[in-house]
Amino acid sequence: MLDTVEKEDTVISEEEAAQYDRQIRLWGLDAQKSNIGLHQRLRGSHVLLVGLRGLGAEVAKNLILAGVKGLTLLDHEEVTEESCRAQFLIPVGSEGQNRAQASLERAQYLNPMVDVKADTEPVESKPDEFFLQFDAVCLTGCPRDLMIRIDQICSQKNVKVFCGDVFGYHGYMFSNLGPEHHYVEEKLKAVKPSEGTSDGPDTKKPKVDPSETTMVKKTASFCSLKEALEIDWTSEKAKASLKRTPADYFLLQVLLKFRTDKGRDPQPSSFADDSTILRQIRDDVLEAQGLASDLIPDEFVSYCFSEMAPVCAVVGGVLGQEIVKALSQRDAPHRNFFFFDGLKGSGVVDYFATK
Amino acid sequence: PAEVLGPGGETELADSVSSCRVLVVGAGGIGCELLKNLVLTGFKNIEVIDLDTIDVSNLNRQFLFQKKHVGKSKAQVAKESVLQFCPEANITAYHDSIMNPDYNVEFFKNFMLVMNALDNRAARNHVNRMCLAANIPLIESGTAGYLGQVTVIKKGLTECYECQPKPTQKTFPGCTIRNTPSEPIHCIVWAKYLYNQLFGEEDADQEVSPDTADPEASWDPAQTAARAGASNQDGDIKRVSTKDWARSTGYDPVKIFNKLFKDDIMYLLTMDKLWKKRKAPQPLDWAVVQEMAYIQEEVSGQGLRDQQVLGVKGYAQLFCNSVETLRSQLAEKGEGAQLVWDKDDPPAMDFVTAAANLRMHVFSMNMKSRFDVKSMAGNIIPAIATTNAVIAGLIVLEALKILSGDLEQCRTVFLNKQPNPRKKLLVPCALDPPNTNCYVCASKPEVTVKLNVHKTLVQSLQDKILKEKFGMVAPDVQIEDGKGTILISSEEGETDANNSKCLSEFGIRNGSRLQVDDFLQDYTLLVNLLHCEDLEKDVEFEVVGDAPDKAPPAPNVPEEDKNIANGNQDSALPSTSSKVPIEKDDVLIVDSDEEPSSSTMEAAVEMGGVKRKLEDVETGGAGSKRKRLFELPINDDDIIALD
Repeated sequence: MLDTVEKEDTVISEEEAAQYDRQIRLWGLDAQKSNIGLHQRLRGSHVLLVGLRGLGAEVAKNLILAGVKGLTLLDHEEVTEESCRAQFLIPVGSEGQNRAQASLERAQYLNPMVDVKADTEPVESKPDEFFLQFDAVCLTGCPRDLMIRIDQICSQKNVKVFCGDVFGYHGYMFSNLGPEHHYVEEKLKAVKPSEGTSDGPDTKKPKVDPSETTMVKKTASFCSLKEALEIDWTSEKAKASLKRTPADYFLLQVLLKFRTDKGRDPQPSSFADDSTILRQIRDDVLEAQGLASDLIPDEFVSYCFSEMAPVCAVVGGVLGQEIVKALSQRDAPHRNFFFFDGLKGSGVVDYFATK
Repeated sequence: PAEVLGPGGETELADSVSSCRVLVVGAGGIGCELLKNLVLTGFKNIEVIDLDTIDVSNLNRQFLFQKKHVGKSKAQVAKESVLQFCPEANITAYHDSIMNPDYNVEFFKNFMLVMNALDNRAARNHVNRMCLAANIPLIESGTAGYLGQVTVIKKGLTECYECQPKPTQKTFPGCTIRNTPSEPIHCIVWAKYLYNQLFGEEDADQEVSPDTADPEASWDPAQTAARAGASNQDGDIKRVSTKDWARSTGYDPVKIFNKLFKDDIMYLLTMDKLWKKRKAPQPLDWAVVQEMAYIQEEVSGQGLRDQQVLGVKGYAQLFCNSVETLRSQLAEKGEGAQLVWDKDDPPAMDFVTAAANLRMHVFSMNMKSRFDVKSMAGNIIPAIATTNAVIAGLIVLEALKILSGDLEQCRTVFLNKQPNPRKKLLVPCALDPPNTNCYVCASKPEVTVKLNVHKTLVQSLQDKILKEKFGMVAPDVQIEDGKGTILISSEEGETDANNSKCLSEFGIRNGSRLQVDDFLQDYTLLVNLLHCEDLEKDVEFEVVGDAPDKAPPAPNVPEEDKNIANGNQDSALPSTSSKVPIEKDDVLIVDSDEEPSSSTMEAAVEMGGVKRKLEDVETGGAGSKRKRLFELPINDDDIIALD
């Protein structure tokens, strides 16, 4: 879908150039060869964003500011008193309204050039074809099986898939850009000394001219979410790589299991009970894989309740930027997980696949 | 908002968060994101200060602002926007400069912590000192393009912002600007100087006419007469100021054009030694240019106006038009008026674009679009929302540690564009202890400065050394001569009579000491002076112990986003500096005491105060076997055995 960008649709106006000036200066307006710039592709993209809690709102803001063509906000839940204070798009007094609907106005104000829509239906009820109208789909707050199903539907048709969640101080994002994601990277050319006068009379020493760049084409391959989550850690090979594996991957498994079992995420109002359940799930998950339970120390329960706003900002920033990169097919994508630990301040990118 | 729980579910932290008062300095890219994060985390008492107003180019990331707000106060609009989704927040907005003396140490003491969201070094230095004086934790941060950094500053515990000497703004030698430009940036700097000489504040350090004292030209006295004769028709270049001369022509664009691009160039050609190994410049004559056809390179950049590169005739026309417009602007302002260069003032930007391009053409360089000239002339740092979002999130996480009393958990965190060899995109590093020799936070700060006591004026001491170099806002200077002679008083007008005198006139000589105070910053600096007569050309003073300000040789750097995120380093004003611009690829080479690197050269990306190696910025690359200087392991898991 991304390779066929219509030219008529992509002429950039002076008004847009002024608004996007600072990011155009970062990305460049034109990719040399193909004459379709990063900004062009982005401006032709339609994105589906599922879930308008804290993380969803951050991703929405980032995509709208970057200037996608269209963003559909999908959420079937209602605004509660708590969710009002959890994100910055929902105005006060919106209790009882649909979350996506309530977020719409402030989201649209972020950038009138983007076509922002609200969809109030549950994502589980959407037919397969629904997802295929988008260039990218971003799932937040979704149960594991649903994410796996949507990932399968999308990747068959080259729709980019992103998942992300925040649990207390921890957060992650996952991406599946398909088995063959093409992109370009800009490399600075070292200008060779020459008798030519292209950049001044004193061209004896090699200079790096900021405007002399070359676009290098690359390809990256991604596996499915199912494959990424269903690694068998009992194999010898997997065990060997364990030392270099972020423990957050297993924490994610625990939290996704909680979500599936309880139909919600751990909440402060049932801190004691939820903590007990979390530890139990931790034991089960790790034991099933033949892993030591101290891989996730007991204290973990204290730090995975609620969506912490600053963690949403960090994960939403990385996730938002990955979506922008994938849509514009520029710069190496992070493959395929990003884990953020807000206690340590560390953010790690790692690739998980069965093969 | 999401409850901030301690281990075991306690809510003390949440109580602390909702009751404390915090100060946010800056309401721009980082500031907007930070304010949002703070209120959503439960901070209730927030004060925000910013002297700037909203511009359309802010809207791609400063999300609290909309198009209808352009021209209004950032701090004020930010407050109003935040109240829309958090009406119970208690926010005070100041449309003001943090360097205003109203914001004294007592003001700062009102806050539990201060968070900077700034874009310039002068303000950062100042807030650093105020927080040291008030003994309040400061969270410092910066972003540029994809890169970002957060760090915590606490007096006595960590390095302050000024503990490590920062490279000062790159400057070019006068003769390069005036005689032998070899890169577009030289021409752009020249054009900005020209603007000031013609329309703005004339500065002796911003000469645009040929430099006859160029050591490279080294002509002997016998040739002097010949050269003087070859100078422009209107007489000896040096005796009449550029502005006076221009005025005498009525700011006639054609006459100005011919002087700058024909006569002065012809003069340069007589300094033939300069052109032995360089391609000689080629003068432009207005009449000849008029005969040319309008040539424009093929339409580029989506047909956008600013992306076009005009031909010589096009730029000559632009030069003419902008001179006429600026002339009117000047006339409107009345007698003795001066214009201040601003990249967002179209005729000013047109003028620099035209003048720089004409000079580039004269010196055989490919001309540049207005878009590119603006980047360089305006020190524009590319910016996107997501980098700011991440950094602002990290700021609040550090803030929470501080409020919990967990200062030892605080870290410097770097945001990279790509993961490093250890797969880290966000790299936390332990904070460094204070530099015991820091000229700001040491118990009795002291520096030694080399200068020529017979040539350095009191005014220069004040402006270039004490204010610009040492970051003071309102210095008071006493000579330690047993009499306590007051050299400079921060009280307006008191010591004006001293300004144009040389230091030696006050008995200052080699070994003299000055006690310098900035009472607002609660800062006292002892300055030892060494008299020196052989400083490099164009260098007025040297601070002993500084790394030399070399313009770096071109590094083979693959990344484009290495801009210094200190922003516009020389002033507290937003991006309207007329000083020498920083090049986009300004990676600074800092001589290291460490073992020689295995790569071609070590490059340090400096931002917000802490240097880091280029290897932190790239995915793999050279030097992965090198000891990682700036990343200290947090726990054993972070140490990976190197092959």
